[in-house]
Amino acid sequence: MKKISKSYFLAAAIIAALAVSATPVYAQRGPATVGNKPEPTSPVKGNAVAGKKLYYSYGCYACHGYTGETGYRAFVGNWGHLGTDQEFITFLRGRVNVAPVIPSDRMPNFSENVMSNKRAEDIYAYIRTFKNHAAPVKDIPSLSEIVSAAKREKN
Amino acid sequence: MAKSPKTSFGRRGFLKNAAAGAAAGAAALVGSAPLVEGQTQGAQSHGKGAHSTDAPAPTEAQLFREAGNIRPPSVEVRKITKPGSDLMVETLKQLGIEYAAANPGSSFEGFQESVINYGNPPNVMPEWITALHEESAVTMAHGYAKAEGKPMLAALHGTIGIQHGAMSIYQAYYDRVPVVMVAGNDVDFIPAHTAHDMAGMVRSYTKWDAQPETVEDALVALQRAYNEAITPPMGPTLVVLSSEIQKLNSPNVQIPTYKPPQFPTIDTSTAGEIAKGLLAAQNPRINVGRLRTPEGVKRSVELAELVGACTSTEAMRGPMSYPQRHPLCGPGADTNYDYTIGLEAEGEQAAINGPGLAKIAEERDVTHIDFKGVRTPANFGRGNRVKSAMPLEADAEASLPLIIGAVKSQMTSDQKSRIKERSEKHAIANHDAHVAALEKAVQAASAGWNASPITTARIYAELWPLIMNEDWCFSSPSNFSGAHNVQLWEHNKPYSYLGGQGAGGMGYGAPASMGAGLAAKARNRIVINIQTDGDMNYAPGVLWTAVHHKLPVLSIMHNNRAWHQEYMFIQYMAGVRGRGAERAIIGNTLRDPFIDYTKMAAGYGMAGEGPISDPTKLQAALRRGIASVKRGEPYMIDAITEPR
Repeated sequence: MKKISKSYFLAAAIIAALAVSATPVYAQRGPATVGNKPEPTSPVKGNAVAGKKLYYSYGCYACHGYTGETGYRAFVGNWGHLGTDQEFITFLRGRVNVAPVIPSDRMPNFSENVMSNKRAEDIYAYIRTFKNHAAPVKDIPSLSEIVSAAKREKN
Repeated sequence: MAKSPKTSFGRRGFLKNAAAGAAAGAAALVGSAPLVEGQTQGAQSHGKGAHSTDAPAPTEAQLFREAGNIRPPSVEVRKITKPGSDLMVETLKQLGIEYAAANPGSSFEGFQESVINYGNPPNVMPEWITALHEESAVTMAHGYAKAEGKPMLAALHGTIGIQHGAMSIYQAYYDRVPVVMVAGNDVDFIPAHTAHDMAGMVRSYTKWDAQPETVEDALVALQRAYNEAITPPMGPTLVVLSSEIQKLNSPNVQIPTYKPPQFPTIDTSTAGEIAKGLLAAQNPRINVGRLRTPEGVKRSVELAELVGACTSTEAMRGPMSYPQRHPLCGPGADTNYDYTIGLEAEGEQAAINGPGLAKIAEERDVTHIDFKGVRTPANFGRGNRVKSAMPLEADAEASLPLIIGAVKSQMTSDQKSRIKERSEKHAIANHDAHVAALEKAVQAASAGWNASPITTARIYAELWPLIMNEDWCFSSPSNFSGAHNVQLWEHNKPYSYLGGQGAGGMGYGAPASMGAGLAAKARNRIVINIQTDGDMNYAPGVLWTAVHHKLPVLSIMHNNRAWHQEYMFIQYMAGVRGRGAERAIIGNTLRDPFIDYTKMAAGYGMAGEGPISDPTKLQAALRRGIASVKRGEPYMIDAITEPR
């Protein structure tokens, strides 16, 4: 079988992203718009302290940030599959188990044999501790200045 | 002119004798020089040999060598009044080659000596830049060309230098960037460093090469290498210079008159047709891709202003495109465009795109390597993906004067006033659209503002107010650090953002930034390099080059302590196979120990600070860094960052 180079695909993906899309793929990701979905209020069964360790060891931070506010897919303000712990577990188990030839950085599947329900509940409990720590833009001088400077350009 | 006759005392013979002399000298040294205790014991433990009384007495020459007064070997004296390499350097001066970067090599000693000593003042145009790796030398030239729209030179040492530089040549080729290279070839020196067809190793990913046999041919080859590099599809070119012709006395050789290249343009009739379409349209649009030089950018602005067309730009994705905050840049007051032209970009009614790499691949890829990306649509020409009513294979930049001329000759006074009114509406709409997008972007950037490790968005957001009034160049690819410049910064100069690696290969960002630094050095410009940690570790010696040559480059480490893209790939793969993601760190992270980039920089003599994981300390560090590079002193800030 012909060997397929990952770096080729990465390069091709980058080239394709730059060439085809008006906005690069990587630029379409990033922090979710803060406040676009309500924070869940369902009861939490797991242990957030244990969950924190698991959040790191399973590498969740890699895409969701250390505080859930940043990264490829921020949780804070975008609680899509996180309404309840059961919803979260269903999501973890239900990731389409497709083996792509092209490398993927999408959400991995976590079967029960690699992440027990107990561990998943603990991680969920930790995720639920995430808050929006962002101060209002008006209180962050650097960000305010960016907008002010752009507005001034009109004159 | 005939090829130079071999000297009666060949290099090979000289080496053989020199080696014998050195051996004899070494023996003499042991016998005559005082030794420290350990060395004495060591020598004694080997018994007879080092202290053998059989060793011959040192000759006068050996004693001189021992004292550091090495006399030249007794060889036939050649009086050199005008070495061929002086003429080569003069040719480069006439071409305006500003820098020559190289890691030293004996095969171009004649050429190097001419660069540093020939001319008044010597070592100017080109200035010799010391690189610690050929990959760095070529990628510096890559970065420089993207910033300036013209090539500098990289010198490579024989077969080994070419192969060290190969990866960088490959990236420049894919990026369609002009780089002129010379490779020294010393056929009488070390056999492993020479070959019958040296350029053959990289032929399939260079645009043109030559191995001239005379000084005259070498001068012609350098001029042609320059011309081939700058004509579309632009790319790296290579001239192999034998050490013999570099050193050959050539008092009567004249530098041929330089003839600039002919760029393929559309014809005047087509230019007239496009002008007519633009002037007749109620709402024309100009899509601007990546042009060749700053002059092309200037011309695209002139055309847009003449016809009152709103424009698109690729300035947030790479160099040489339309100024992002020009009043006409944006969607405009009305997005129902009735005549769209593409300049190295897509255009529904007309699209002018220079030839892509596929155009040269057939001829150059003689060994049928068949690099796949060469034939992808992106490289056929940068705007041929959408069907255009008038696809035109020509250089957009060179075609613009024809269109501008036709517009000026066809324009009526009625059209002028209509265009003025339309332009004002576009300016207001584009400004409002920009501010609205910015407000959304800063809202997003506020997420995790106070988080530690520091968010990549915060790095970009803290930087922008500090550089917005400076003349800056953002040199490193931003795709691995969130590309927040796209939304938060304004890219208004041809060199504002230099874009990606070319072929997606790591090890590009740091040397390309130093190449941008070379361009910036004489232009009172500063360079911002948001440097990924994985990329930094390929050839960190460029940090020394930056210090040594006083390059105004501020490097801010995006230190997420991983090759993060690959980390995510392995996580996904482990998930697919049901094996868990806990060991995905293996092979993809830079831990145990963490790398201290401030210490790394310090080792190369670069000032800096860090590691900084407290976001509140970032802005002050950035201020210090900018102050440093404005003094011409490169600076390193090691920021511990979120993965993306």
